Amino acid sequence: MKLTRRTILAAVSTAALLAQPLMATAQDLPRNIRMVIGSTSTGGDTYQNSAIVADALSEKLGVNIKVDAVGAVAGFKALARDKRGTTIMMFHDFAYLAELYGGKGFVNPFENYIVGATVATNPGNAFLVPKNSPYQTMTDILDAAANGEKVRVAIQPGGVSELGFSAMKNAANVNKPGSGENIVAVNTGSQSDKNQAMWDGLADVINGSIQSNEQFTQLPEDDQKAMRFVWITASPETLNGAPEAGMGKMTRDDMLKYAAPETHVPLNASEDFTFDKEFFFIYNKDMDPAIIDKIDTALSEIYADGAIQDRQTEAFFIPNFRPSAQAREHLIEKRTTYGDVISEISG
Amino acid sequence: MDMFEFLSPLFVLLTIGGTLVGIIFGAIPGMTATMAVAVCLPVTYSLGLENGLALLLGLYVGGISGGLVPAILLGIPGTPSSITTTLDGYPMAKQGHGEKALRIGIIASLVGGLISLVILDLFAPALADFAIRFSYVEKFLIILFALSVMAALSSDLLLGIFSGFLGIFISLIGTYDVTKGGNGEWRLIPPGTEYWLESGFSLLPVLIGLFGLAAILDEAQTGALPGMSQKDIKIGQSERFSLRIFKGQTVNLIRSSCIGTFVGILPGVGGSAASILSYSNAKTFSKNPENFGKGEPAGIMASEAGNNGLTGGALVPLLSLGIPGDSATALLIGAFTLQGVQVGPLFIANNPVTWDAMIIAMLIANLAMFVLMYFAIRYFAMVVTVPKHILFPVILMMCVIGAYTINYGIMFDVWTLLIFGIFGWMMSKLRLEVAPFIIGFILGPSAEVYFVKTLESFGDVSIFFTKSPIAVVLWLLIVGSIGGSIWLHRSASKHRDA
Repeated sequence: MKLTRRTILAAVSTAALLAQPLMATAQDLPRNIRMVIGSTSTGGDTYQNSAIVADALSEKLGVNIKVDAVGAVAGFKALARDKRGTTIMMFHDFAYLAELYGGKGFVNPFENYIVGATVATNPGNAFLVPKNSPYQTMTDILDAAANGEKVRVAIQPGGVSELGFSAMKNAANVNKPGSGENIVAVNTGSQSDKNQAMWDGLADVINGSIQSNEQFTQLPEDDQKAMRFVWITASPETLNGAPEAGMGKMTRDDMLKYAAPETHVPLNASEDFTFDKEFFFIYNKDMDPAIIDKIDTALSEIYADGAIQDRQTEAFFIPNFRPSAQAREHLIEKRTTYGDVISEISG
Repeated sequence: MDMFEFLSPLFVLLTIGGTLVGIIFGAIPGMTATMAVAVCLPVTYSLGLENGLALLLGLYVGGISGGLVPAILLGIPGTPSSITTTLDGYPMAKQGHGEKALRIGIIASLVGGLISLVILDLFAPALADFAIRFSYVEKFLIILFALSVMAALSSDLLLGIFSGFLGIFISLIGTYDVTKGGNGEWRLIPPGTEYWLESGFSLLPVLIGLFGLAAILDEAQTGALPGMSQKDIKIGQSERFSLRIFKGQTVNLIRSSCIGTFVGILPGVGGSAASILSYSNAKTFSKNPENFGKGEPAGIMASEAGNNGLTGGALVPLLSLGIPGDSATALLIGAFTLQGVQVGPLFIANNPVTWDAMIIAMLIANLAMFVLMYFAIRYFAMVVTVPKHILFPVILMMCVIGAYTINYGIMFDVWTLLIFGIFGWMMSKLRLEVAPFIIGFILGPSAEVYFVKTLESFGDVSIFFTKSPIAVVLWLLIVGSIGGSIWLHRSASKHRDA
């Protein structure tokens, strides 16, 4: 065969093309990473937190990271299909709560995936009543249940929202055994549906958040839409990490009034129930551990640098970076605690 | 003036650029306004709130409007809200009046967009208060009203209604989603297919399969004819366009724009219902209802004024309650969230500059949409002159790409496109009707949720009739719509017999 300059060039180009994926492999991290999230909303806290983390991580690692709001089921499916590290997931406690509540298609993420670093807490999970409600506090609600009144709570079943409801039922039982039966769930969907259930008089209490519902608490009492917070589920330690100015007209001190220990929702005779909604990474079970290490190292440097904390706090998140191993241990312990509450309620 | 300090050349450029990109997204079958907004959302963080919103609102208005191009020229709705545009636009294009149909659609889109913008600017908070009076009962009745259109759109009443119910049945396959108030259980999934059908069939692949692929298969069976010549489609000099075509249509345009705006105001009812209800009303009140579905300009006007009327309406609950009115405005919340701005009942009062910026951006976007599309009509219309052996593979490729990307890369969506393409091709052989089927498919899940939630909440079927005066009015409209359809069918068959 005659080796012309053209043949040699073609051979070199082909070799370079073929070698490209190998070069990418040798770099450990794919150049393009898709971060799927367990929510289909781009207006919610999961997207907002993921966008902040993806942005910082992308800059630190020098790779492209695109956040895709695909939802929980589709997110886990996408993750299960890809062990190369080109798909990673960011989600919150729903990841294990859905399985604890027996959600169809959900598995224990600690057994079927690799749970990675925690990055932030959203302290906003809350419960509200209409502003003119006879129930002004959680004590009123638990007392009403103890007196045989049915208290209807609008939730979205199977996750963070239902966990607060389970805790309320459990607290009613601790307050007066058997009275948990008077705390009844009204299964709704999105935040819009929960608000509407309140305005239609179908629910006495709704699950919501500081971010979504705070403006409604500023409305005058004669406005049908006006609401009042009765319980913020975050722990006081977490809330103390929030900006002093709080959100809207609600300062950090105001928030602390609706959280333990000032608002009393007993877990048992000696402790109050608290719940911090935490965001963490989830990876394919067979993904190269070197990639996870690389992400952990990058996150350590990002959090040591400090700029991401400002951005998270500005967006009303509490930064809480824990490297993968530490995060796993913490989240497994959390799962056990809430698993106990759920089994207590379901008997 | 401080009030308009946001109004920079960049602001205007982003709005116009967004509108142009939105039109392109809307014009490609399978790509939607929602997708355009989703793709560009991350960019807005670095643009700042007002400039970011200018871009997104341009994409939104452009995306909704661009859907009329393939609906008219190819018979494939670019977006779900353009389905009813297809019904009269495509027959007009086949008769050689594609350019005229496009002009009608674009002008109606502008009218719808501007009317809804005025309503948004003047009445947003008051309308939000009105919207929250619509509970599960009233929302179910609105969906039922929209479903009653199935009868009006059928050429054979019984087969049309059967097709519609088949659409509803197929739409219910999958999980009864907890995010919509369901119990998370699987329904109607054949054993062994749970992995794929867990989330049911996605709307867009079904839509482009039924309208796009089915038409290509049909042409393949009969043998594709060559594309029309420029003379055939009366481009440019061949057919003069006069605004006189809008004579007598003022009520239709205003009514359709208001229906679109109103549907947008109600969270969860969905954008497709806007054009379906507008179209149905235009047909009911028309002097020539029998011409609808055969190339009636009033049908295009109603559909396009209705779906663009939605754009302003959907912003009402978003900006007055923090609740999005449709899927694209649900993404717009992301722009506020990324900038750390709270959206709720006090948004307009607390953020007057952002509010003004949004109104101005919507105005620029509507005008830009009109100018960009109106003057590009000649080039759009050339599509039908492309020989079909070249055009069809391109359409097929766009359909496959659109189906694959709609849920961020799910291969099952491509299979859905193929399954429903074949099903759509078979429907005509079985005398089933595509339009009622797709309307049933779109509205079925909402009908189910609102029906079940009503029974769960009130525990009594009589509540559907007694809940409120709004419910009574909606029942009157439903009965009127069904009665009108039956009368139309009877008089049409008498006419045939005579």
